[in-house]
Amino acid sequence: MSASREDNTSPDAQLSSHFFGDLLDSIIVDIASECHRIAKLGLDRNLEDEEEELRRSTQARVRAADPSNSGETNSKYVVDIFGQTHPAVANEIFDCMNCGRSIMAGRFAPHLEKCMGKGRKARLKAARSSTTAQNRYSRGSPASTYSPYSNSTSTNRLSNGSTGVAGEDLSNGTSEEP
Amino acid sequence: MRHSVNRPPTPDAAEDEEKEPTLQEIINIKLIESGEKERLMELLRERLTECGWKDEMKALCRAFIKKKGRNNVTVDDLVHVITPKGRASVPDPVKADLLQRIRTFLNSVI
Repeated sequence: MSASREDNTSPDAQLSSHFFGDLLDSIIVDIASECHRIAKLGLDRNLEDEEEELRRSTQARVRAADPSNSGETNSKYVVDIFGQTHPAVANEIFDCMNCGRSIMAGRFAPHLEKCMGKGRKARLKAARSSTTAQNRYSRGSPASTYSPYSNSTSTNRLSNGSTGVAGEDLSNGTSEEP
Repeated sequence: MRHSVNRPPTPDAAEDEEKEPTLQEIINIKLIESGEKERLMELLRERLTECGWKDEMKALCRAFIKKKGRNNVTVDDLVHVITPKGRASVPDPVKADLLQRIRTFLNSVI
């Protein structure tokens, strides 16, 4: 190898390129090693989340495309992480602490609505029996004021119950009794 | 003592001294001993990070890992994935600067 000091001579340029390549290779190995470590240790959240999302969306697509599945039967056969299946409605029975009746757990919330006074009948019942304004549902007793809302309330307790309350609040402004 | 016909002779200590280190090896040793190699490496690392080259390489790695599955990837795979693109995409000013510094060092040492 010539020991020439000129920059243009190819051995010198070759040598510099060689060392530059050397440095670059070391840096590349470092980067590869770092990425490998992050991947293996599962530190890259994005990678996992995307994988999980992809898996879930393909699963959901399969379930949706399958014509034999209806929503109700599906929930009965879904298995949780312990391998247990649960019925669509919780079926444990206990006693209501308000009225003392035996209630099924899955029907407890709607029962409480009626029992504790959110429903129409309970409201009317409470209004008639207590004359004070302590009971917030006793503001307006005439059923006629609430008729457009209460009709729907009686038929469907769950979803229109909230509509009934909203309607009640609106009309209360006008017909509030001291 | 019986000698196996096929067994090569044990290398003597004397034989090693006959091999002369190449110029490359000499310069490499000087680079390392003077600490210049470390400095150059840090400089190059910094430059490549600033210009986004490192992020590009990491993105290539992540894409490859996602495709192959993270439990099927070796470091070697990743090195082979990013080496060609990596060598080709070093920005010219960065490369020129480093080459200049190396040449300066070579001239000071030879």
